[in-house]
Amino acid sequence: MQLAVEALLDGVMQTLRQAVLPAVQGRFARGQLFAALDVLQNLRDRVEPKVAFDESEAASASDALTHALDALGPDLGAPLARALAEAPSGPPPERAAALRAALVGAFALLDRLPADVAAPARAALAKHLAAQAMRDVAMLKPSLLQEISTGISKG
Amino acid sequence: MDDHALVARLEKYVRARLPGEHAPRVVALERSTEGFSQETFIFDVETSAGRRAFVLKREPLAGLLEPYDLEPEFRVLHALSSDPLPSPPTPWLERDPIVLERPFYVMERLPGDVPIPAPGPDGSGPFDDAERATLAPEVIGALARLHTIDWRAYGLDFLGDPGPGRAAATRELQRWEARIDATGLPLDPPLAEALGWLRTHVPETPDVTLVHGDYRLGNFLVTRTPGAARLTGVLDWEMVHLGDPLEDVAWCISPLWRGGTSFASGLVPPDDFVARWVEASGIASDDARLHFYGVLAIVKMAAIMLTGLRAFRDGRTHDLRMAIFDHQLPYLYLLLGMMRGWLGGF
Repeated sequence: MQLAVEALLDGVMQTLRQAVLPAVQGRFARGQLFAALDVLQNLRDRVEPKVAFDESEAASASDALTHALDALGPDLGAPLARALAEAPSGPPPERAAALRAALVGAFALLDRLPADVAAPARAALAKHLAAQAMRDVAMLKPSLLQEISTGISKG
Repeated sequence: MDDHALVARLEKYVRARLPGEHAPRVVALERSTEGFSQETFIFDVETSAGRRAFVLKREPLAGLLEPYDLEPEFRVLHALSSDPLPSPPTPWLERDPIVLERPFYVMERLPGDVPIPAPGPDGSGPFDDAERATLAPEVIGALARLHTIDWRAYGLDFLGDPGPGRAAATRELQRWEARIDATGLPLDPPLAEALGWLRTHVPETPDVTLVHGDYRLGNFLVTRTPGAARLTGVLDWEMVHLGDPLEDVAWCISPLWRGGTSFASGLVPPDDFVARWVEASGIASDDARLHFYGVLAIVKMAAIMLTGLRAFRDGRTHDLRMAIFDHQLPYLYLLLGMMRGWLGGF
């Protein structure tokens, strides 16, 4: 996820205030909208992302990078070893971000190696990408894209 | 500027461009919810001969394809106004921000609606069988027409001929990599993997054609009658350029635009789409090139989403539609994994 929870909530409040409120005419509905803003502005500083997501991502990424390092050996894999060693042990969001950057660096390294040399390490990283993609999607709710695009409720 | 001021300024602008009309009035101005990129307004002009329907596209303050330049798409649409291709006649471009604060162009509003690439309320696709049977040949035929247009004869050289060999694919890859870089957001590992693969698999383009750049379900204007659907317009030419026609084909058949079906743009199986486009255009397809542009399609979409997310994070837009990309990206990476082979199922 690229946006911090605070940034998301700030954006929601701005939109409600600037784009939605002016179009709402009924006094009750406007009152409810102000109440929503009141809830959101007080909620903003009380929420934190669940660290469990970052912890599982970091564990999986670290494991994948270690396997890739084993496959490449200490010489070819030196940049991976360095990135693993330099990744902070916490807090979880920072560790996950550092390991994500290490994965990006690992792919850049593998792109420079002969395909057959890189293949076992690439397989280890691919396994993590697949698992992480599934983890990320599993936490998402059904999309409201139809309603967002048309402004019309399904139900 | 509120909508009243917008109407007043637009009316003044329109009056200067319809000199034969006595005091034409701008009415029924409405902001459109469709289109995630440019600001879109629909409006009518009341004239002595009746109402004329228009669409106005204005550069947004921030958006998915920033930095914006409306001129290339306007010039293409203006040039194609006389072509049988169903594109909207586009009479006016205004660069002077004094008129409506930002550059805009005006096109005539064609009949029809824009089915969007999302499953319907009951989970069904955007078209029934009869509609698909009538609409698919028109969509495929229009794409084939677009790719066989003599772009030099239409004066579209200004779009920049990439030249022979790998130049077309290289330019597109670099264009989208640059957009990703410009967001300044950390590169996600699935994107890094895909970009690495794309860089080492850049294909040659045998023949440079006009490329719409965003030809897909969601940019088709469609009318429906019982048992039939017709293509009345091809919209959103913001990404128009000269390049490889398979870029358009791959984009149109991409899993991104299947609207809850297994069909390319909700119309026909992807392989059928390609075969029928080959037949209609007389241009050969190539599996490796098509796959390259298929992967690039997902990368393009990621670049667009990241651009919107960055604008939202910076507070340059409060359009919450940009924020939803944060939880659309994982779906995108799922598709990328399937196309790249690190996730089974594609």
